[in-house]
Amino acid sequence: MALLEVERLTKNFGGLSANQDISFSVQKGELVGLIGPNGAGKTTLFNCISGLYPVSSGRVIFDGVDITFLKAHDIARRGLARTFQIYAASGDLNVEENVMVGCFMRTASTAKAKDRARDILRELNLSDLGNALVSELPVSAQKRVTMATALGSGPKLLLLDEVAAGLNPNEIEEIMINIRHIHDDLGVTVMLIEHVMELVMNVSDRVMVLDYGRKIADGDPKHIAKDPEVIKAYLGERFIRDHGKVSA
Amino acid sequence: METLRSAFDFSDFPRLDISIVGMVAIFLLVFPLFSHSAFAMATMIQFLMFSLYGMGWNTIGGYGGQVDLGKAQYVGIGAYTTAVLLIRWDIPFWFSMPLGVCFAVAWSFIIGYPLFRLKGHYFAIATIATSLVLMDLFGVWEFVGAARGLEISPIKYHPPDFWRLIFKEDIYYYYVILGFFFIGILYVNGFRKSRLGFQLRSIKDNEDVARSLGINVHWAKIKTYAIATAFVSIVGSFHACYIKNIEPEDTMSLDISILIALMAMLGGAGSLWGPIIGAAVLIPLKSYLKEWLGATAGLAGIDLVIYAMIIMLISALEPRGIWGIVEKRRRRKRR
Repeated sequence: MALLEVERLTKNFGGLSANQDISFSVQKGELVGLIGPNGAGKTTLFNCISGLYPVSSGRVIFDGVDITFLKAHDIARRGLARTFQIYAASGDLNVEENVMVGCFMRTASTAKAKDRARDILRELNLSDLGNALVSELPVSAQKRVTMATALGSGPKLLLLDEVAAGLNPNEIEEIMINIRHIHDDLGVTVMLIEHVMELVMNVSDRVMVLDYGRKIADGDPKHIAKDPEVIKAYLGERFIRDHGKVSA
Repeated sequence: METLRSAFDFSDFPRLDISIVGMVAIFLLVFPLFSHSAFAMATMIQFLMFSLYGMGWNTIGGYGGQVDLGKAQYVGIGAYTTAVLLIRWDIPFWFSMPLGVCFAVAWSFIIGYPLFRLKGHYFAIATIATSLVLMDLFGVWEFVGAARGLEISPIKYHPPDFWRLIFKEDIYYYYVILGFFFIGILYVNGFRKSRLGFQLRSIKDNEDVARSLGINVHWAKIKTYAIATAFVSIVGSFHACYIKNIEPEDTMSLDISILIALMAMLGGAGSLWGPIIGAAVLIPLKSYLKEWLGATAGLAGIDLVIYAMIIMLISALEPRGIWGIVEKRRRRKRR
């Protein structure tokens, strides 16, 4: 059985349809990339799945339970965690305390939450930053802290929303190592929205493409890169030029 | 057990802070021994009371970022419960005080449930409104003395009466409220490190992020609001026994609500010491202004002018108050 199953999900904002009739499933242990041009409805899809937006129609089934109408915090408690694209960095909390907030989902004990937060920071090579204020960190570290916080809640499925946007190649490399570690070693199923093609094409088992709120492709990254509709919608002429011959 | 240990654990503060706090605590304990002025004593009791109000406000308003300008209604509920029960049925303070907390918390659920659907300024305005409505209701309710209010006459009792908290000398009141003050500090110290404390700070930052981390935002706010309410109601009960004369206009006025919030913000909202620092600055200021200016020169509104100036200064210079300035300096030094 699939870990996440989305059936004909539609989300309308007034007359605008941000997600139209989207169906897909994510198997346990998969690492799925979600790409598409700006405004394609990727983040909206995440917001619908994680319960922040009410869906207009369709169903979301997570781990065998229909979560379509559950509240966001109930969905999170069932093991579906996510990060946010724009993270309002905490003014008061340092890195470790931020991660502790995530850990508190599974324990009421401050000591246990602290231990767990330290473990996670070590796992993601962030131990040095434990005492820094999040707002004082560079963007790349902030994004990794949000991943650590989400991981603190002990998820089965982790939705990552553009964790690599605006980072330099070295930082992307670090993030990539983190994502691989979360997926390969910690056994968390991951779905990620990404514009950085090196990352998404490199780490994903499977890539889904959205355009104007519809799913236009779903499959192996290599095939996706060659799909003429995808190229037209998203990758553009430049990608074809940079990556050589793409036969339609 | 862990909670209790956490309440007594101040180890995350620098040694300097702990020694200052220790000295202040000793000062507070011995203060009555060398104070012979009734005025100073009354001011100190006011300071302790308002510190506790501020500590309560700080849980929801500081850590949670929900600016509550209606705390006076809970002062009123606590004060009236204690006064009515004592006058009508001779029920002592130590029974009426917890009962007042129950009433206040019940009321806080009733208004908190719908009010926490509102955010930011709308929430603040709504809390003012409910507080004013309650004040008006008490002002026409004959059972609680309507606009005349209630008076506890000490002649009927035999002070010092520790059960009913009826004393002749202020020194007794001083030590009672000082006890509450220390308990309050320990409670908030435990609270800020508890799960709820962390969740609240996450909510203050970004509610969507908080939700996605499994936090029931609405419920966390209501729970914390109840905690804040309990603090205020306990001090309200104390207020009834101490002042012995309560009227809606005095105990539940908007001034009190604003003063509570203002003190916490001036000292540093969302920090353990903030409300105490704020009260230490504002309460003596208020008392002395009243003494020197208000009565003599007819400048009754001067304290309000000063509050307004303080609000402007905080928002312009350092939104996190006096404690915010201290922390900023420390961070700069460390780097």
